This record gives sequence, structure tokens and C-alpha cells, in this order.
Amino acid sequence: MAVAEYSTSTKLPIETIWNFVKEMDNWADLVTGYQSHEKQSDEDSTWVLKGDLGPMSRMLKLQVHITEWNGPTRVTFELKGINELMDGHGTFEMSSYEEESEPGVHVAPAERKNFILRLLEAIARFFVRLLSGGAPERAASADAGPGAGMAKLTFKLELKPGGPMAPMIDSLIKPVILPAAEQLAGNIMARLEELHGTER
Amino acid sequence: MANAPARWDLDIDWVSIGSGLGGVCSAIVAHDLGAKCVILDKSPRLGGLSGFGGGEVFVPNNYKMRELGIEDSDESGREYLDFLSAGFRDQDLFDKLLATCNEAIEYFGREAGIEWIAIEGLPDYYHPKVKSARASGRYMTVDLFDGSTLGEWQGKTYAMTPHVPPGALHKEMYAWGGLAKVTTWDYELVGQRVAEDKRAMGPGLMAYFVKAAVVDRNILAYVDTPVRELITDDGGAVIGVRAEKDGQDFFVKADKGVVIAVGGYDHNREMACQYESMPDWNSAAPPYFDGDNIVMGTEVGAAIAAVPPNNLAMFYGYNIPGEETDGSPLYRASWECGVPHAIWVNKKGERFCDEASYKDYQPRLRQWDGQTQTMPNLPPTLIFDQNYRDRYPLGSFMPGQEIPEELCVKADSLRELAEKLDIDPEGLEKSVKRFNENARKGEDPDFDRGSFSWSQRLVGDFDYPNPNLGPLDKAPYYGVKLVPVSVGINSHGLKTDVHAHVVHVRGQAISGLYAVGNSAALRDLGAGYQSGTSNMRAITWGYIAARHAMGKD
Repeated sequence: MAVAEYSTSTKLPIETIWNFVKEMDNWADLVTGYQSHEKQSDEDSTWVLKGDLGPMSRMLKLQVHITEWNGPTRVTFELKGINELMDGHGTFEMSSYEEESEPGVHVAPAERKNFILRLLEAIARFFVRLLSGGAPERAASADAGPGAGMAKLTFKLELKPGGPMAPMIDSLIKPVILPAAEQLAGNIMARLEELHGTER
Repeated sequence: MANAPARWDLDIDWVSIGSGLGGVCSAIVAHDLGAKCVILDKSPRLGGLSGFGGGEVFVPNNYKMRELGIEDSDESGREYLDFLSAGFRDQDLFDKLLATCNEAIEYFGREAGIEWIAIEGLPDYYHPKVKSARASGRYMTVDLFDGSTLGEWQGKTYAMTPHVPPGALHKEMYAWGGLAKVTTWDYELVGQRVAEDKRAMGPGLMAYFVKAAVVDRNILAYVDTPVRELITDDGGAVIGVRAEKDGQDFFVKADKGVVIAVGGYDHNREMACQYESMPDWNSAAPPYFDGDNIVMGTEVGAAIAAVPPNNLAMFYGYNIPGEETDGSPLYRASWECGVPHAIWVNKKGERFCDEASYKDYQPRLRQWDGQTQTMPNLPPTLIFDQNYRDRYPLGSFMPGQEIPEELCVKADSLRELAEKLDIDPEGLEKSVKRFNENARKGEDPDFDRGSFSWSQRLVGDFDYPNPNLGPLDKAPYYGVKLVPVSVGINSHGLKTDVHAHVVHVRGQAISGLYAVGNSAALRDLGAGYQSGTSNMRAITWGYIAARHAMGKD
């Protein structure tokens, strides 16, 4: 099981974030490699993504099930690969700034990416974006930092690969999932701030 | 000058068009002999086809097998390659190649830091049926390569390919059970190697050579820089190239020579179908091998030469829907056909070959029926049963994983499967019944499947008495329609002489122009092919070309 957790902050109120995130159609086409999605209900959807896999790319079919819609503070979800042996779950938590936000954990993106790493990174990006509303890249310096924002966003994602290659894939997830989460958290904020503006 | 520019952007001694083994090796040798060199590649990465493959280099009586105490001789190697050539070789080229291959290999080991190893336990294709074949050691490859030593080129080379397992050495692969038993490998170790960018096989092999060239020697290299045409003088001598760099013409003057090392024409379907006499053509190679050798060579009068295509490296395989490499559909050669519990059949439902030996099935696929004006074995269909699915993968689909219907048809009976696949049901049932009866005895009296050591080693399952045979007797049954999948080794190429000079249609060498690797016609080895000979040719002729251009031979 590979685990990634990343927090970032914004001056936007958490209700604004929630209102954006709760409707997946707002951000579906911003998901990395997005090809299509089908919403079966408020809780269930299937997605087709084209994942960049280093020297190759392939289509990823995923089933996402929201297990908790507790707006505007918490969403939990489970995911299952339809054509890939992969399970996982995660949370997206929003809290007011007064609870003390922490700056995001900054990890330099991996310079060398092989196809498995990129696959896993794409998966990580997808699920973080799934819960965040996917947004354009935001510079790390744009993070509001401690004491400056109104909301803290925390993403937690756990991925468990299956099949005989699981040990190899698991070891590959660990070094890339956190940088992916960092990047995606920035994207979330960039999109929201683009839509709603900030006071900085 | 015939088409020389008013101004050259770069004045240099040696231009390698292409960055596979032929291009890089020739640049290294030219550099070591005092030349200023540049390597130009149209793709985003250095490494060419060599960096995308298995990384085997077939060199009889090589020094690394001798260090291991494996018996061989030059005479035996010559005899084996003579057998492979089937009389279609050019004797002078054959002699030159064999006289130089060990010298070239040792040169790059000594001067370029290539960590050669002889592969133990990988037999020549025709072992044990041909006396001069060896059971082990003639294939060379490299030890693990640390990708981080490539510096800025780390991300501009192949860290891995979809066609061979990442970060695993041959001896490990065999110890873990081979390709058939990929489910039982040590993935903790493989994962660690991938995470650390420890490269093996083709990506590892090319990484050593790329490092020797562009890191250790600071040889100029440009990716995303296709060469559009050769520049000649009034006498027809090649004096440079016109490339395209950053969207602009980039003229490079080459005072000593230009080598065409761009592979063949796998991704030029029209050219491939015409030259290979096939109704369809696809490639496992990345989409950069589209006949530049033929186009650029013939533009300056080069002769095209050919060997019979029957024995080259054409496989049959499939594209997993949606899978691409660099924007082009990714085709996988199907190794599944040589694994127990799987067979190939034609539309009559009949087996027609030893499915575990592509040397056998390739010419049978090309069979022509003069009575019906058809190629009766095309397209072949891969048939396997649940025994197979319980033990082995299909491409990237592991046991227990659903295979998309658009790739693989599934049915509860052979008859139903045949009807779904438009195959004669009675023929299929009859073929499977006979195959099963013999497979249970570990025999294949029809096509002698499992009789080659190489087939056993590569795709066999050594849990079985005959590693390549197992009955199809457990429903459900599965079928995959296959298409041609070439691995970039073509029957036609530029005609070259004993110095790797390109030969003009009127017979003389074209001054300043060389061709090596898969860009040069296979006249040196004739009709024969054997894993590793393509890489061996590229290294050796690259070495020969550069030395000749620098006045050393």
C-alpha cells in the first residue's frame, strides 16, 4: 500500500471549494488524459483516461465510488481499476484556516519517469483531481502559507496494486505519488482562484 | 556543388544519421580517430531501435564466453552463420563481418567502457539440431547500467521499452522461469531497479553506448532533428546533410563522411508491404523507422539490395486497444503461441507450423496457394484455453484479469469459439484433439514443437515434460486474431561494400556515404537471421565504416 498525503491552503472559503468540487462535470475534462466519463449516480462513475506511460500510453478504465459526501468538509472515495489491477481509497478534507494550516510538503518532481511511474502518477493525479476539480498549474509560491488563507485542503490517497507484479508496482508508487499530489493540489487552487479571484 | 547551401550551419567531419548502435558506434570510432562528429536523430530520444529491443549481440567465439570457459571457435561460428545464410550471402561481406565482429566488440569493451557479459543458458536458434550451434554464450549483452550517469541525456534515452521486462538481466529472467512464467518473477528486485533507473537489455545496451559518445566524449548530438536530404557535390560525392532543427533548415558539412543508420521502413506501410510481399504490415518499433534509408539513398543513386524475407524477424501479434507508443499504435509480437496450452490455426482451423519457433512459422505464414491464389495461413489466430489463462499472461493481462472483448474472443466450447472467429469449427476441433493427444505425451509429430532449445528457453514452461506443449482441454476457450508485427529488420536495404560504403546503381561506391545496421541490406548474412545478429551487424559495420572514413582500413 502506497500512501500520499498533501496539504495546501487558500484564501477562498471552503464553501466555494465545495460548490465546485461536488459537481464532477465542472472539472471532468481537466483530468489528465481525460477521454470520457459516465456518471451512474452521485456516488458512482466510470472514467476512461489516456495515461502517458513513458515509451507508451494506454487507456485506463476506472470505477470510482464516493463513500462519504460530507460537505463542505470531507469526501471519501474508493476506486477500482476496471482494466488494471489496482484498488485504492482516499479522502479530501477541507477545514477553516483557524485550525492552523500547514504548508504543502514540497517534493521535487521525479526527473526520470518510466512508463509504470507515469501510469501511477497519472492515476494519482486522476484521483486527486477527481476530488478537487482539477485546475491549471499553480506555482508553489502561490500557496497562501500559514496564517494567510481561509481554508486548508488535505488530500490523502492510498493505492494498492494487485496481481503478481504488485510488489514492483507498489515500490514504484511510493516515490511518485507525493509529488503528484503536490502538483495536483496546486492545480486545484489555481483553477479555483482563476474562477473566483483572491486578495493576494 | 549539386545542392550545397550558401552557408553551412555546422562544419564537421562525421555525421551519423540515426542514434542506434550503428550511428553511435561509428561516431565513437570516428571521434577516437580524431574526427569531430555529430549524431542527428529524428526521434525525441537517442538509442534508435537498438534501445527498444532485447539488447542481445550475437558474436560467435566472443571473449566473454571464453572467460566463462564456454567452448567455441571461429570455424564453428562461421559454419553456423554459413548455415543460416542458406547460400544467399555475399562472400566478401560475410568474411569481413566475421573477421571484424570480435575486434569491434573488444574495442568498445576496452575503449568505451561497455560492460559486456556473455549470456549463459541462451542457445543459438538451431541448437541442438545443427552441429555448429551452441547451447550458450554466443549472445552477449551488458550488465546493469546506472541511468543517472547519463546526466542531461537520462530523460532523452529509453529507460525501458514495452517489449522486454525492465531492469532484469537474462540470467535472472531465466532463473525466475522465463517469459512464460512472468507471474513468478522477483518483482521486489525489479521494482527496486526500475526506481533506481538500473537499465538492462536494449535500454541498458544503448545507454552504455550513448554515455560513451555524448557524455564521456562530448560528441554533439541532436534529437528531434530529422535529416531531410543528403548534400552532394558535382561529382555525386556526399558532402553533408540538410536536417531540420527547431523548424529551420540545418546544414551540416561532413568532411569525412555521412553514415545512414536510420533503420528500415517498418512504419512506411506501403514500402513495407511492397518490399516484404505482404498484404499488411505493422511494427513493434517506435514510429521513426519509415524508410529514410531507402529515400535518402536512392535520391543520390544508391542501389537497393535484398535477401529472401522468409527468415527475417517478422512475427504476428496484436495491438491492445488504446495502447500507443509515441502516438502510433503499439504492436506486441505474440510470444504466447509457443507457451503450453496455446496454438495457432488458419481459417480452416488447422495448425500449420511450430508455433514456438518463428524461424519455422514465418515462412509458413508466407505460404502461397497457387490453386486458390491465396495465402491460406493468413491471418493466423491464437487459440488457448483456461489452463493457459490460469498460468500465463496475454500481453499485459495477467491471469485473473479480464481481457477486452475487442482483443480476445471467449467461448465455452471450441465450436462456439470457431464460429465467433469465422474459423472452420470441425477443423479446429479436429486440430485441437490431435494436438492434445500428442501434447499429453510431450510430442508434436506434426511440427516438432519444443524441439529447439531456444524455444524452450524463451517461452517454455519447464514444469512441463515438453516446455512448449500442453493440451487445450479446459473451457472456456479464447481466440485472438493476429496481424503481422515486424521488429524492424527488413529484407531490403541499401547495397553496401566491404567498407560499408553505399554502392551506386552503376556499381561504384558513393564517395562520402556509408550505411550500417538495418539501413544496409542483409547481404552479409544472407537469408539467415538470429537474435543478436542485427545488433552485431550494426556495431561491426559502424566500426568498419568509421575506420575506413578516417583512412585506417
